[in-house]
Amino acid sequence: MSTQDNNILDVVITTIRHTINEDWIVDFPIDAGTRFNSDLEIESIEFVKIADAIQRHFGARLDIVGWLSGKNIHELIALSVGELADHVSAALREAA
Amino acid sequence: MARILVTVPPLVGHLNPALAVAAELQKQGHVLAWAVHRGPLGDRLPAGAQVYDLDRADGFDFTAAAPQARGLESVRLFFEDFAMPLARASLAPLEAAARAFQPDVMVVDHQMPAGALVARKLGLPWVSLVTTTASILKMSAILDTQSSATLDGWVQAQFHDLQSGYLDPCDMVPRPEFSPWDVIVFSVEALLGRHHECIPANYRFVGPTRGGGRRDVEFPWQWLDHSRPRLLVTLGTVSRDRDTRFFEVIMEAVSGMDLQAVLVAPDSLAGQAPANVLVQPFIPQLDVLDYVNGVICHAGHNTVCEALVRGLPLIVAPIRDDQPVIARQVIDAGAGIFLRHGKATPAMARKAITELLENPLLRQNAQRLAPELQGARGEAGAAAIITALVARDHLLGRVG
Repeated sequence: MSTQDNNILDVVITTIRHTINEDWIVDFPIDAGTRFNSDLEIESIEFVKIADAIQRHFGARLDIVGWLSGKNIHELIALSVGELADHVSAALREAA
Repeated sequence: MARILVTVPPLVGHLNPALAVAAELQKQGHVLAWAVHRGPLGDRLPAGAQVYDLDRADGFDFTAAAPQARGLESVRLFFEDFAMPLARASLAPLEAAARAFQPDVMVVDHQMPAGALVARKLGLPWVSLVTTTASILKMSAILDTQSSATLDGWVQAQFHDLQSGYLDPCDMVPRPEFSPWDVIVFSVEALLGRHHECIPANYRFVGPTRGGGRRDVEFPWQWLDHSRPRLLVTLGTVSRDRDTRFFEVIMEAVSGMDLQAVLVAPDSLAGQAPANVLVQPFIPQLDVLDYVNGVICHAGHNTVCEALVRGLPLIVAPIRDDQPVIARQVIDAGAGIFLRHGKATPAMARKAITELLENPLLRQNAQRLAPELQGARGEAGAAAIITALVARDHLLGRVG
């Protein structure tokens, strides 16, 4: 994984912590393998807020919601922080 | 008088509204019969009820619906491991029940699709009972994405497989659980909001039932102290025994607060309850709601409507199935606060409880919804829709 990809993962994790902004998440371990549904109990409305915040941070057209809507139910259930970061990396490379 | 066959899945939250509707129809002199699983539901049915038992010798494991799953995963497991296997196992005994009882009309819970398929196959008029408004929304709306054809497609694939081999291909429809006549919804449109797209059907919003037909449950009324705020804490009948963590967090949060809390939780927790907490495994929920100032719950559809009809604000800690969607309805209406079920700490819970009791806007918004819920006719409205369908059918000469 490149340094830039690591930075993107860090931004995604920081954005999740800031958006949820509850006391438990401050020191809750989050890494690429952390799952939104089972590990973080993040609801879809919050996911949309996280996606918007990441979008604002990078300013590029990331189309996270569009990417999500193409996923099947198994992929949505298992969605991890790392997969979101990978999508952001790919979208940024494409936009570059 | 009409012959009416009622079928619901073996879930208390689905039985209770049907009990109220059935009691109303019985009062009017109609002849009722139940096609249900006697094992899990038998002792909750009215005394002397005519029952066609759907329990089968090969046994259906009602506990198979992965009690620990949450969120979208629980929705998937509910369909794939519970609703669809239950429907397949119920088709033959339900069809036999309908042929034996010869109903004029069937009343079918929307999560008992075997009943819908039997009614469609036998050409019987029928209505759907919808016990949660999450079920009438398109899945894309639930996920808040711009569209999720994949999720709606997944639901339709489940129903396609179920209908294949039982119905004529020309009788198959994408969502067979919704009656082409009337779909009775135990909610009001004001709570549903206008953000979400509904699956097209003839919805009849009748609001929550008033609880007729439920069994009597004892409650120590003298425990309530009317000089202090009182809260009801419940995770509903499915998640009550899921784990004790949430209840322990709430007990720690309210310990030392100037209020009382009634916890609907396993007896085993009574030993660690502070003096201002009463632990009861079962309660007469509608009566208790008349004596509390707020509700902490899992955002189960029945509990939410039963609280709001009384103008009570809520803390919603959704876990599974439809609950995240119903929690959103409460929050969008300004009548509740969100608490993350598996992550809540005593500090978070205490903060939420303080706001629940002290923020007048929450109560005002709950009370704003109350008149529409109170004005809805509940079981009487549902019974009127069902009897009107029978009358319409008699006029058309298809019955009797």
